Amino acid sequence: MIYDYIIVGAGMGGLSAGLNLASHQKKTLILEKNALPGGLVSNIKKGRFEFDTSLYDLYDYGDDKSTGTLKELLTKYDIELETKVIPFNIRLNELSTKSNYIIRGDMDAFLTELERLQAGSMPSLKKFIQISQEIHEALDLLKKHKNIPEEKYPNFYKYLDFSTLNGLKDLGMPLDTINRFSFLWLEIGSPIHKLSFIDFSEFMYKLTFKKDVILLNKALDFTLKLANRYQELGGRIYYNSFVTEVTKTPSFYLIKTKDNLEYKAKQVIFNPSKRYVYKNLIMEDHKEINRLENARTLSPNGVVVYLGLNRSCEELGLKNYKYYQVKTLNSEINASTMTSLEHDTFTGIVPNVVNELASPKNTTILVLKKIFFDDALRSINSKNYAEFKEYIAQDLITKFEEAFKIDIQEYIEEIAVITPVSLSKYTNNVNGSFYGYMLKGYDNAINRLLTYPEEEIKDFTFVGGSSLFGAHVDNAFYSGYYLTEELLHKEGPNGK
Amino acid sequence: MENKITKINTERKNIIAEYSSKKTKDTHIDTLAQEIKDLQYVIIKDIVEETPDAKSFILTPDSTKGTYELAPFTAGQYISIKMFVDDIYVTRAYSLSSSPTKTSKMYRITIKRVEGGLVSNIMLDEMKIGDTLTISRPIGDFGYNRIRDEKNIIAIAGGSGITPFMSMAYAILNKVYDANLTVFYSVRKEEDIIFKDEIKAINKKSKKVKFVITLTREEKEGYFSGHINKEMLEPYLKEFNTIFMCGPKTLYKTMNEILSEFNIPKKSVHYENFFVDYTPSEIQEYELKVILKNDFVLAKCKSNETLLVSMEKAGIKAPSMCRVGVCGYCKSILLEGKIKMIGSYLKEAEAENDYIHPCITYPESDIVLRLDI
Repeated sequence: MIYDYIIVGAGMGGLSAGLNLASHQKKTLILEKNALPGGLVSNIKKGRFEFDTSLYDLYDYGDDKSTGTLKELLTKYDIELETKVIPFNIRLNELSTKSNYIIRGDMDAFLTELERLQAGSMPSLKKFIQISQEIHEALDLLKKHKNIPEEKYPNFYKYLDFSTLNGLKDLGMPLDTINRFSFLWLEIGSPIHKLSFIDFSEFMYKLTFKKDVILLNKALDFTLKLANRYQELGGRIYYNSFVTEVTKTPSFYLIKTKDNLEYKAKQVIFNPSKRYVYKNLIMEDHKEINRLENARTLSPNGVVVYLGLNRSCEELGLKNYKYYQVKTLNSEINASTMTSLEHDTFTGIVPNVVNELASPKNTTILVLKKIFFDDALRSINSKNYAEFKEYIAQDLITKFEEAFKIDIQEYIEEIAVITPVSLSKYTNNVNGSFYGYMLKGYDNAINRLLTYPEEEIKDFTFVGGSSLFGAHVDNAFYSGYYLTEELLHKEGPNGK
Repeated sequence: MENKITKINTERKNIIAEYSSKKTKDTHIDTLAQEIKDLQYVIIKDIVEETPDAKSFILTPDSTKGTYELAPFTAGQYISIKMFVDDIYVTRAYSLSSSPTKTSKMYRITIKRVEGGLVSNIMLDEMKIGDTLTISRPIGDFGYNRIRDEKNIIAIAGGSGITPFMSMAYAILNKVYDANLTVFYSVRKEEDIIFKDEIKAINKKSKKVKFVITLTREEKEGYFSGHINKEMLEPYLKEFNTIFMCGPKTLYKTMNEILSEFNIPKKSVHYENFFVDYTPSEIQEYELKVILKNDFVLAKCKSNETLLVSMEKAGIKAPSMCRVGVCGYCKSILLEGKIKMIGSYLKEAEAENDYIHPCITYPESDIVLRLDI
């Protein structure tokens, strides 16, 4: 049998592509190497704790007043999730200035706090929020391959080649406010002098108008819902299917898996990155793709430490949903410190503060994360790996306790550590990177979208966090929808 | 303004054009990830008779099959032996009892005879020095964790449950961990003591590791007699302790009662799942249908046999590792039928979506399973 589409990988992009194709009655097969769907979105069970590996922040979901694209798509497939809006509830330590910030409430509260910290910031902040709506609309037209009239969207064109830093400066925003306003990007690692103003604007638009949410159930509940619905729609998924080779024949694509099975399809969609696919699955050399891949920068990788604590968050004094420590809010300088193992930047998330079902009664989950650039992890090898995991975990715990004067060590009941090595092994994310390719310079999401029609590889389609729109569930899921829509459109109404 | 878009696109093109057209290289991290092999090939270098019904096997890398170094492990982890017995693919999990510092060159596992056991009898009666085996990489979470655990470790071992603690003892002796370890080791008779000479030698020279042996079926000088009790433990408990247990479930039950008298918090007690005990009220045979990726298999299953064993007997190369319901490797979906799952370790969403661990699941009706292999 020849499938209409074979999708390699049941991550967010792969599942989303599968859902859209199956709902158009296409004969679709997803081949997933692991035994469960989700890719990076997964969970780890340790004792009585289940740690979600991501998804403590689901963007572009929205609430009753304003539905986000992610929720719109899920609704289209009749998938319902139990969610709760995450308000700003952040404690932030900046070491260089010994500043301690607490940000609570919605975007308005955040802006008010920024104004309080630096009088005169408000007009530029307000202007930015307004522009972000205009840019969002323009992006919508761009995605639909429609003309973007300049007279209606002057700011889209104006800021198209601006970095975030220059764009915000151009709006008259004070430098300290710029750094505070963009602090969320410190975690993702793209310094704002390289991050596109358009990408930043779209992210802030979602944060402002389409509220981010936490799932009340576990991540695996979500991914199984997606996989089940896809199968109800007629799609097929095979787990434990590690794709090892994809070749093109005159009439179909041949896909081989590690367990010596072969599948045929008219089209192949990849959830892993182009870099992984052209390095590992496609034998011929593609010089132009090699060039592109050599040019791109992978996003940082990192270590995540999941702690199951045997006290409630109230008892422990963990009052905030998110904790940040940074060396400095200047993202360019801060990123340069993140090339050493011992650097001071980290984040902490306490899901229980928003979702009391995150762990059993009178327990708390604390997720600590540290990201690394370049060669910070050069010294690890298979022999010191276990020791390295402990070292980084202890370093994070100690830094958290010192930064926020909260004792956690003695309450640790369970601990799990994810490293770039385990992530690379489980997801095939090259270098164990969290966010696919780094959004910077010529490789921001807007640049990918502008060049996509021209640069597109005719043979294959790439979805997921390394694809057009960048990382995070909302973008990865949208890529699966958007790119399969493009494919369906090409097929035409008769499906040939 | 279209010019601006053209300019941006040209710029991207020009930048990319300057880069090499050679295939990308693996990163250091990816190389490390690829070094993690799911299977290892080993040679039996030596066999040591430990007791009348237990032998230790020294395993070294089989370079002729591409295993040049054995994967590192942490004390408490196990490996799974994979073998064909009369064309039936089976696996068995055994804790590593050697020092984690000697990892790359050798592993030691110790196997006790199980009456009617498929693998243990072959290992004890048929395997010779020079024979080869296929094993998994080391896995498992059981063991000391510097971050989570206290420095005073109390280990409770029953029978062959001693094996992970030998490895833990060596980890401390070889300064992998800075901790004190007291192992309470309960066996029936003196002749059942595994690692007897090693234990003696360690007790003599180490201040950090101590073994306390109790015999439950005989009285002999130099040993406690009877089951491990409160009085035996008391002198070795400090203000903060971490307790590890490995042995039969009955041992865990009695020990938990004793430990509750010492007010040891739940978070400080860790168990290795070692046995699955279950006897159905009557033995019944049922139909078993296993739906594989491109195929299906019809077979029989029995109420006193796990679905994993039934699948193996039917010639299905079902994946498995721990065989006690923890690791999740055998994960399958129950499509039809009634089952009894012993000590489920499923995630919430797995349980809600009819996943089962066939290694701990007994049928109570005809069964239809989905296993993607």
